[in-house]
Amino acid sequence: MALIELEKIVKTYDLGHQKVAALRGMDVRIERNEFVAIVGQSGSGKSTLMNIVGCLDVPTSGRYRLSGRDVSDLSDDELADVRNLEIGFVFQSFQLLPRATALENVELPLIYRGVSRKERREQAAHALDTVQLSDRMTHRPAELSGGQRQRVAIARALVTQPSLLLADEPTGNLDSKTGEEIVRLFHELHERGNTILLVTHEPKLAARCPRAVRLVDGLVVADGKGRDVALANAEALGAETLAAFHAAQAAQASQRLP
Amino acid sequence: MSESALPLPFEAKSRQLGFRRKAARLFGELREAVAQAAYALRAHRLRATLTISGIGLGIAMLIGILTVLSGFQVSFLRQLSTLGPNTLFVHKWKWGVSGNDWWKYKNRPHVTHLDWRALEANANLPVAIAPIVSTDASVTHAGKELKHVDIRGSTSKYLDATGWEMRRGRFLTDLDHELGTDACVIGADVEEAFFKGQDPLGQRLRVGPSTRCTIVGTFLRKGNSFGQPQDVRVLIPLSAFTRSFGLKRGLVLSVVAPAGKVTQTEDEVIAVMRNARRLRPDQEDNFSVNRQDKLLQGFNKMTEALNIVGALIGVITAIVGGIGIMNILLVSVKERTREIGVRRALGARRTTILMQFLCEAVMVSALGGLLGVAAGAGAGKLVDVLTPFPASIDPLVVLGGVGGSILLGAVFGIWPALSAAFLHPIEALRYE
Repeated sequence: MALIELEKIVKTYDLGHQKVAALRGMDVRIERNEFVAIVGQSGSGKSTLMNIVGCLDVPTSGRYRLSGRDVSDLSDDELADVRNLEIGFVFQSFQLLPRATALENVELPLIYRGVSRKERREQAAHALDTVQLSDRMTHRPAELSGGQRQRVAIARALVTQPSLLLADEPTGNLDSKTGEEIVRLFHELHERGNTILLVTHEPKLAARCPRAVRLVDGLVVADGKGRDVALANAEALGAETLAAFHAAQAAQASQRLP
Repeated sequence: MSESALPLPFEAKSRQLGFRRKAARLFGELREAVAQAAYALRAHRLRATLTISGIGLGIAMLIGILTVLSGFQVSFLRQLSTLGPNTLFVHKWKWGVSGNDWWKYKNRPHVTHLDWRALEANANLPVAIAPIVSTDASVTHAGKELKHVDIRGSTSKYLDATGWEMRRGRFLTDLDHELGTDACVIGADVEEAFFKGQDPLGQRLRVGPSTRCTIVGTFLRKGNSFGQPQDVRVLIPLSAFTRSFGLKRGLVLSVVAPAGKVTQTEDEVIAVMRNARRLRPDQEDNFSVNRQDKLLQGFNKMTEALNIVGALIGVITAIVGGIGIMNILLVSVKERTREIGVRRALGARRTTILMQFLCEAVMVSALGGLLGVAAGAGAGKLVDVLTPFPASIDPLVVLGGVGGSILLGAVFGIWPALSAAFLHPIEALRYE
């Protein structure tokens, strides 16, 4: 049984005067213990896909099975429970609670599943230990560096032992050296048996993943080894950029004509 | 990476929450909500303080009003009870007359000795009838003068008809009235003024310009009635009073009815009085039979009006305070929109978010309520000390003040809290 089964997922946003299709019949299967990168330009449907996989949103049509359970039309509260029990989120901008300490931040998802205070402390401390921050437990986010903040966020995602780690541009707000540390941390977590879905626009990151999926206009256009897809993506991007450049030049030239 | 590895992610674990887990979750969430609310208030001290003092002021005002009102009521009822529930007062004046009718009552004939004699002779129901007449005069003893003493003339029935009690000596007898003796009974304040540490019995007083009398007894202290001291008095026989002060003052006839027959007695008194005064069937009564419970009715009507005004002020202050809470909460929701999104992503349900913001609202209003109760009770105490009204602090008012303000927070907090709970997680996460 695959961990994630997406069948003909369609998501349409109703903007009142017009309907915009973000996903147009997408099929993706992700097995347990995979490390998959989702790549694509902005507007390709990456975020929408991630929101649906993360159970933050429901598809307009199609079927989404998580661990064999159909979550396509669960109620809001049921979705909240699924998010809490199955999914660990890592955001681009860390999204830590500024007033809470690192330990309290990591404890938060455990509160939502009714873990006792003592157990919470233990599990959160353990998760922070895993990301090598046991000496920063009582620090607040403002007292931590960017890389440390992201590691706290990763500990928060890991503490619930989720079926799936969902990372949205996790290195986007970090310098390249710190970003590299985080990427290595993800690879280690993958080796330990975690399933990771990484949304990124950086071909370099995708190239290092065992598998990558490329989206264009709400459809899967490539699915294969990370390196191949990333290369194709880069080429496609390059071609598009070049085409856009030429078009702009042509437009300028035509304007100059009398 | 440390050696203490996390267990593998897809280890068998419960995907359903049992009842105990749900209870633990509720408790944990509540605890966290309280902690976060306390944080939020501390982080915005000025804002919180302003709102809290707004609510506190409103509650304090309300409690102050209610405290003074209930104190007023308590003292009135206590004083009213001194009149006795079974006593009728036959008088030229009607109690509680407003300005428009003044002349009508003023022009009535006085209640006289003749009326008293008629009642004594013809009314069967009354247990006791005491004629009372009074004036204001100064009293002197051994060169010391006491001004504005309430001089009263009455008979041996006075004690039965008014509920006054003796402290020492004897009261006036029928013989004192019939012979017009110089016996007198003095109030506690008069005793204190002239005979501190001495035995007043047998001592002589001069009442008014020329009347001399001998003290035969003293009254037990009665305290104030309607803010007026009652113990500055000298009681002399009715005949002695009229001999000294004449007949121009009207009498009040204090008629004690047998228990449970107040209305029948009132009817009888009216009949005898009308007969004695030869009133035609179509003539109105030219006297009044006053009853304590009538006074009570009038008083209740007045306090009802005051209570309504108090309640109205309370409601208005509550609304103003509530708007304050709503405002502070809306700002708080706006500021923490992203946080709401994060919490939702991590598994917080709508009720979790709702609870969190309601906690903040209730914390603000409860603090305001406590402050208000403290200030209101203090103000009530101040009134008690500084004015003749005994302001009593009702524990129910205190409880209601705190409970009401908590309810206020919940009612005015519910809308912002709901708007937070129903934010879409994705939009909340994206909010800048």
